[in-house]
Parts: sequence; C-alpha cells; structure tokens
Amino acid sequence: MARPVSSSAALPIAHVVVRGLIGLNWLGGVAILALLLVSPHEQWIMSAFKLTPSPEAQRIVAGLRVVAVLGLGGIGLNYVILQRLRAMVETVRTGEPFAATNADRLRVIAWALLALQLLGLVIDAIGKAVSTPVHPVDLDAGFSINGWLAVLLTFVLARVFAEGTRMRDDLEGTV
Amino acid sequence: MAIVVKLDDLLHDRRMTLTDLAERIGITLANLSILKTGKARAIRFSTLDALCEALQCQPGDILGFEAEGVEPEDS
Repeated sequence: MARPVSSSAALPIAHVVVRGLIGLNWLGGVAILALLLVSPHEQWIMSAFKLTPSPEAQRIVAGLRVVAVLGLGGIGLNYVILQRLRAMVETVRTGEPFAATNADRLRVIAWALLALQLLGLVIDAIGKAVSTPVHPVDLDAGFSINGWLAVLLTFVLARVFAEGTRMRDDLEGTV
Repeated sequence: MAIVVKLDDLLHDRRMTLTDLAERIGITLANLSILKTGKARAIRFSTLDALCEALQCQPGDILGFEAEGVEPEDS
C-alpha cells in the first residue's frame, strides 16, 4: 500500500539533478561522437594537439580514437545508472521505495559503477601507453579510491535493500 | 501452507460476524479477512491473545496443522 511521503526538498532536488545529469550525459555522448567523426581527419587532431607528424604522434591519435570509443561505452553506462536512479527517485515520490525492483536497480547500478571503474583503468593505461615526454597525455582517469568505495557501498546497499524488501513483505503479511 | 486458520468455524459456533470480531479485538476487517482466508504470513501474539479473549477459546482452537497432501479428517 502506498504511504504518504514526508515533504522534503531533497526529493524534488534529486529529481531535477538526475534529469539534468541525464541531459549532460547526452551532451557528453554527442561531444564524443563529434570527436570520433573528426578523428579520421588526422591533420586537425595533429594541429589541435600541436603534434608534428611522427610515429609517436600517430600512436597518440590512434590512442585517442580508442579512448573516444571507450568513452561512448562510459556514456552508455552512465545512462544505465542515471535512468535507474531516476526510476528509484520516482518510487520514493510515489511512496513505494522498498520494492524488489529497486533492489535489482541498485544491483545493476553497482555493476555499472564497477564497469566504469574498470573502463577508467583501461583508459588510464592507454593514456600512459601513448604518452611521450615530448607529448605527455594526461587523461585524468585511473584508480580512484572513492570510485571503488562507491562500487562496494552500492553492492552492499543493494543487498540491504533486498533484505529490507523481504522483511517489509513479511511485516505486511503479519496480522 | 500446512497451518490452517479455523476462524470460520469458531465464528459460526459463536454466531458472530467477522465485522463484530474485528470491532471487538481492534484490528481492521481487512487484516482479519487476510487471517481468515489463510493469506497471512504471521500472527502476532497480541492478535492471538485478543482473538482467544474475544472467542473464549485456546490458540489451538484457532490454528491447526494439516500436513501437505493429506486430506483433513472428518470430525
């Protein structure tokens, strides 16, 4: 049975923020797609990064192309996370947050966060592989203790949610 | 489930309706109906206590056990 939700500013704010992040994620996707469309024009990239034609420069361009493709994968993962988060915020609004579907959503979010962390490690490795002392490539990716902590927390939270949902079902069947 | 609720028989014997019983023990008709139809997952001791008080019976008169797949004996 739906329960009245206490009035709090957090809910409308979360709703707006998640919607905003979904929009920003789409914009990020468009930007990466644009980069991929431009990347065949090697000269443009060379001049943008002030690279002189050389085997190292070609390696950097190839590396950036791979990173852009991986970035698209990241956009997809962000979309998976944000859509589920939006759906969860919606269930809080309707007063039915402790549902098995939300536990499933949290588990999916946890897997997507894990995939994002792994993607970050791969992107960091590519950056280091193509980086040279003359043309250092810093992609601001790699191991993040906060990121891995978020993965762990979300997996634990998903389990807690599943257990809480089961307990609530039991309580609802108690007379 | 192998646990059966025998509220129907008790109510019939005492010429009492489910609504009367719900009012006497202070739980909603909907919840009492869930119990009567065997859809409840658990029963609180406080509910059982109130039922025994109102129906002047023992917990064993309200609840019974019938093994799965075994036909209940005719009394």
